[in-house]
Parts: sequence; C-alpha cells; structure tokens
Amino acid sequence: MPHHRHIYRFAAAALLIGPLAFAQDAPKKYKAPTVADWTAVGKLPDFTGVWEIPMGGGRAGAGRGAAPAGVPAGRGRGPAPQPQLTPEYAAKAKEMAAAATRAEDNQTANCLPPGLPAIMGQPYPVEVLMTPGLVTVVIEAYTQVRHIHTDGRALPDDPDPSFNGTSVGHWDGDTLVVESVGFESVPRGINFPYSDKMKITERFHLSDPDTLNIETTITDPLALTQPYSLGNRVFKRHRAWTIAEYVCEENNRNFVDPSGKAGINLANPTASPK
Amino acid sequence: MNKPMQAVIRGLVAVSLVAGGASVAMAHHSAAIFDASQTKVITGTVKKFDYSNPHTWVWLDVTNDQGQVETWGVEGMSPNFLNRRGWTRTTLKPGDKLSVTVRPMKDGQKAGMWVSGKRPDGEVLLMNGEIKDKE
Repeated sequence: MPHHRHIYRFAAAALLIGPLAFAQDAPKKYKAPTVADWTAVGKLPDFTGVWEIPMGGGRAGAGRGAAPAGVPAGRGRGPAPQPQLTPEYAAKAKEMAAAATRAEDNQTANCLPPGLPAIMGQPYPVEVLMTPGLVTVVIEAYTQVRHIHTDGRALPDDPDPSFNGTSVGHWDGDTLVVESVGFESVPRGINFPYSDKMKITERFHLSDPDTLNIETTITDPLALTQPYSLGNRVFKRHRAWTIAEYVCEENNRNFVDPSGKAGINLANPTASPK
Repeated sequence: MNKPMQAVIRGLVAVSLVAGGASVAMAHHSAAIFDASQTKVITGTVKKFDYSNPHTWVWLDVTNDQGQVETWGVEGMSPNFLNRRGWTRTTLKPGDKLSVTVRPMKDGQKAGMWVSGKRPDGEVLLMNGEIKDKE
C-alpha cells in the first residue's frame, strides 16, 4: 500500500487512542448547547419550576416544625427502613450515644446549612432548572444550589468533601437517578455515623405533572450492611411562587455553643434594620 | 474543628430529622430552648416587628405587675414562610396592641416562641396558617 496510506491509518488510530486514553482524567468542558440539545431537554419529564413539600398547614398550636410528609418506603421490600450498621460502625454509634451529653441543638442554630439529605426536606420551596447536561436545584433554605451533571460524566473518585456532595444523574426511563458522593461530617439529618465512602441516591419521578417524588437511599460500604431508605418525599408544584432570598445570618439570634448548649441573644432588641 | 465539637455534631441524633422517615426537617433549628409543656400569654404594645431571616421577631413593650415596662421578644417563623401564608412586613406595626401566646424560654429570659396572637378586636394571627396562594 502507498506510504501515505499507512500514515493515515496510524494518524486515525492515534486520534482514536489519544482521547480514550485521557477520557477519565480530562474534565468535561462546557460546550455551547445546540438547538438539538435544547430540543432534547424539552423531551425530558418536566421537573422545572418551583416545588414544596406540603406541611399540612392550618394546624393550631406550635408554629414550627411539621408533621411528617410524604409516604414512607414500604417495609419488608427493598432497602431497610432503619440503618443496618456494620460491627465497626455500630460500635461508633454506641460511642457517640455514650459520649458527653446530647446537644440541645445543631449547627443550623449557627446558620450553617444541614447538608444533604436534610437540605431537601426543609419547609421552604426548591426550584428545578433543566438545561443541556445539567439539572440544577435551587434550594431556598440557606440559599443552597445543587448541580446534578447529566452529561455522562462519572462520579468523582476522590471528591473534596462538602455539605451537599458532588452529584451526577442519569435517566432510567422517566426517573432521574441522582448519585452523590463526597460528604463532610455535618448533621445532614442522618441518625447514624457514616464514612467518607457514603453515597446518597435519589430517584426523582413525577407521579403527575404537579407532583414530584424524591426517594432517597443511602449506601455506605464501610458503615452499612445494606442500603438504608429514607423513604419518599412528595413535592407539590407552585406555579405562582418564586424563590425568595434567605440569608440566614442577617438577624440570627440563635446559637449553640461548642458544648451543645443552645441559647438566644436578646441584646439590642430592635437592632435589625429589617 | 476540635474533637469535642466533632463528637457533638456527629452525636446529634435526629435533631433535624423527625423519626426515621424522609419527613420535613425542622425549620432552621430545634425548639429545645423553649418550654413545650406550657404556654404564657403576654400582652403589650408592638415596639418593632423584625421581618428578617432566619426568624422574625416581635418586640413587645409589656407593663409588668410593678407597673414597669419590659421588652419581650417573640421568635416567629421566617418571612419567606409568612409571606406565603398571608403575612406582610407591615402586618404588625409599632403601636399595635397585641396579646401573644408563647412557649416561654426554659431559662426564664423575657422571650418565647410564637404560638398565636390576638388583636383587641379579636383578630387571631397564626404563623402556621393555610398557604394563601395555593397555586
């Protein structure tokens, strides 16, 4: 065969091998979406808009907290309804329970957000945006934003730990399966000791155009012997709402000190400018 | 952060999670500092209504049994929450007369958590009322 054809074959092979060899390491770069990309988003189930978990309003009495909302996961089927700890982590749990006195409050009293999955269970709305390769959840409580990458990228092997984790999502029919890893040690609303290998999986699914279900399951190869289900949270759509600002620290009079003692700062009443 | 703080944070069992299910977490923080076993009614004049996060605060000038005026603070729900349930930042104004039922602070400070309010004309003010704009 003529010499130049060998070069073409070699060049073609190099083009194939080059990108593949570095595919795992090269970060996904933002590519300007095409009309076709936007059209594809338009064909996905419509999670866009503002949603909130109904609290069953109109209750007389205590004006804080809420009755449990949503449907708990079915028992005896699928993941366990209570965390099943490995021996090592069961021992840690015992240590935690025995160590010092139970704190009266957690870091949210100091305006730190709780982290995933508690951040998805607040009595404030969330807003979902869908763009090519990305589902973004804007959370009104503590003004949090979650980026769920749906561009095919893999979960990171060694993510920096964070409050809400690093998330990727893929479609399973009409269900968006979101996996998140890389969690630092903050309350999160999780009532057992977890390792840095914990993964939180959420399944987003519309049961009708105005009802968004998010089922949450936790797996942890070091702490749990089987997946642990947090059940289903049911969000209702609010077409007339917009997400409001929430700067927790602007007039925070609550605090919890390092020993876990909670308090209120009543100094300078009326000092708040708003 | 130091070890004792870590132990405290990790040892917090379900403060922000109700039972074991995926229920709605407590708004902002727990109510442990308030006495949930009793209520107290404080009657006075609104000094100021702080309409800001994380909690609104109703400051009331209350005349005590000795005829002295004391300032009481009532912690309320977030303005984000209230705006969707019929409240505005001027629902309470300085000078408004008000009787507020509160869960008092366990430590006896002049503060409590809003349970309900009542104006002299009988209007009842709830902070956890029905959502006004259901859509």
